[in-house]
Amino acid sequence: MDQFILNIIHRPEMVPEYAEKVTGQGKAEDLGRKALLTESLDIFRTQQECAHKNGLKTTIQMTYASLFNDEAVALAKEHHDTYGDEIGLTLLGLPCEQFREKYKTKDFCIWMFSMEDKKAIVRDVFEKFHDCFGFYPESTGSYYLDADLINFIKAEYPSVKCAVATCWEEGPKAYHTCNNSWYTFMDGGPWAPWIPSKANTHAPAANEDEDSGIVAIPHLSRDLLACYDGNGSNFGTHPQNVLRGMIYDTKTWEYPYLYNLIDQYRSLARYNDGYAYNMMFVGPGWMNKMGRWEQPYELLLKSYEDGCAYYGKLKKEGKLTDMTMAEFADYYREKKSYTEPECALWRDILYGSDKQLFWYCDPYMRACVNMDQGGAIVDLRPYAAKLEWPVGIGTKHVQDASYPFLIQEKYRAGYFTHYAGEGTVRSAKLCRGGEEIDLCLCRTKAHFSREGKDRLLTLDPVDVVFEDGLTVTVQSVITFTEGSSEIRIDRRILSVSDPTQTVTIREYMVGCYGTTEYTEDMTSLTLGVDAGEQSAVIPYEYKCREAAAPDAGRVWCRIPPIKTEVSMRAEGLDAKGFVREGYAFSPMFTLGYEGTLKDKEVFSTWLRLERAD
Amino acid sequence: MAQAGKGRLNFRCPSCFMRDIDMDMFYDKEKGEYYCLRCQFHGTEEEVLEKNELARFRYKDMYRRFSFEEE
Repeated sequence: MDQFILNIIHRPEMVPEYAEKVTGQGKAEDLGRKALLTESLDIFRTQQECAHKNGLKTTIQMTYASLFNDEAVALAKEHHDTYGDEIGLTLLGLPCEQFREKYKTKDFCIWMFSMEDKKAIVRDVFEKFHDCFGFYPESTGSYYLDADLINFIKAEYPSVKCAVATCWEEGPKAYHTCNNSWYTFMDGGPWAPWIPSKANTHAPAANEDEDSGIVAIPHLSRDLLACYDGNGSNFGTHPQNVLRGMIYDTKTWEYPYLYNLIDQYRSLARYNDGYAYNMMFVGPGWMNKMGRWEQPYELLLKSYEDGCAYYGKLKKEGKLTDMTMAEFADYYREKKSYTEPECALWRDILYGSDKQLFWYCDPYMRACVNMDQGGAIVDLRPYAAKLEWPVGIGTKHVQDASYPFLIQEKYRAGYFTHYAGEGTVRSAKLCRGGEEIDLCLCRTKAHFSREGKDRLLTLDPVDVVFEDGLTVTVQSVITFTEGSSEIRIDRRILSVSDPTQTVTIREYMVGCYGTTEYTEDMTSLTLGVDAGEQSAVIPYEYKCREAAAPDAGRVWCRIPPIKTEVSMRAEGLDAKGFVREGYAFSPMFTLGYEGTLKDKEVFSTWLRLERAD
Repeated sequence: MAQAGKGRLNFRCPSCFMRDIDMDMFYDKEKGEYYCLRCQFHGTEEEVLEKNELARFRYKDMYRRFSFEEE
């Protein structure tokens, strides 16, 4: 039977995010304002009540500030005893008078501090927690926890087994939404729980050696389509985020989208061996008595009550299991193996487009396949590199915690570009008599299946119609083989209107590397074609060069800044491998294979990701 | 002219919202209107609410309840 697991997390945040900024507008900052402290605790109480009255247990994540508040500590103990809530410790909610006095900074995001400060803060907060409760917590978290920080926490406090460790696709988009003032750059991670590797939080561990020792959960369960393009903070299992997105009826105060989102997450059990997951974690600032943006307090409260009531209803119907974070970590370790992927065939539930995306995540890659673009891969993160990427003050990445991409269709154009050049995408073109038709323009639907270690995405066939009337019906099958670090794509010609005719197929990947919209220096990259005596190597100089060879065993690009090598190989008639160097206006590289296809034939390619250093 | 402040609720700029930017607006008591610090939008509360409804144009399935039974 399918199991849908829910973690509800509440934090008594004595100075809620937004509350001081919003309710205190026009006043000098005062973190000790009595009204602020009282309201914060009231909100926490209300949130707890919403969960408990629906029969749901919570994980109470104490904040540093709340550990100085006897009432908050007493409340946590009482709820632990009465409702079985877990008492954990969050590294969010650091701001308070005591913290400012001690650390002399207004920084509050734990991953952005220097390593020295991270260690001091963790010890401080964990020991303070121990003073209050007499034990160390089993769960912790923040919006993001970098690998060095997780490794330190696990070494110092081995009781920790679960942590909130990233916020899905919260990166440049969130920064832009917040008028370029919200410095949380953490794109490129898993959307569902995973075991982080010791080297990089985003990249799941492939084995025990790589295991950081914790189970990570994402901050919220976010819409895998809406969040990829739009503001992530509008589309998650956070009722007030849905209000932030204005996705509700202003007359009736109803929001079917919230329930659709929860239900779509429930449906993901069919792709993940009967398991699905949701996480709801609303900071108290979102239930501010002053209201939040256009929404009055009454609507904020209603949405949270409704969210809890829906989860409670599912539980009563036997369709949901509520767990604390620590309980979930044990369940997850029991349920999942290291290499077992997380899969999600996601459909649009908001815009009416009927569009589908397929997300795949394992220790070697995260990939997104877009069925509205003929099954093109539109996002690709090479976890195989297990890239060490220290973040925080004193490192090269003070704020940028994103896992770099090779393909990102929103930041690097994808299929459509203006005037010249190519954007990043992995697709194919069918060519004939000077005509090139990209499968990106063939909208289709996908069907998921599993065969042993393979997860297959079989796309509905599409017709490619050439100007001379020749019609080729082609079907794409995309195979992710567990633990292989490869993506296989088969293009099957199901029919040709004139079976005596052939077409050329050009399988290609346009790639680059980066974490933002802006291009990086590509001059350390090297392109290559492996073809015996016809082998060629192109050191990147933006000179728009090309190399090709028939029967090439492999074409590749080595990307030292992200310690990654991406390569392709092919199987099919007249397979010719090629690589293309970019140029200044369009700096991306291209790897690919060309071949000949006729009726009933198949052309197969494999895209492989490896660490290279 | 006195400084602007916050209005009855903390309205965002509908024009910026439509380009995925959350910009709080401020209230000009003398003109009786909200205005955006980033773009040129300005309007009464009634106009803001009207434009907020307009901003929902892209959510074609906002009122629809889906079923996720095996398809």
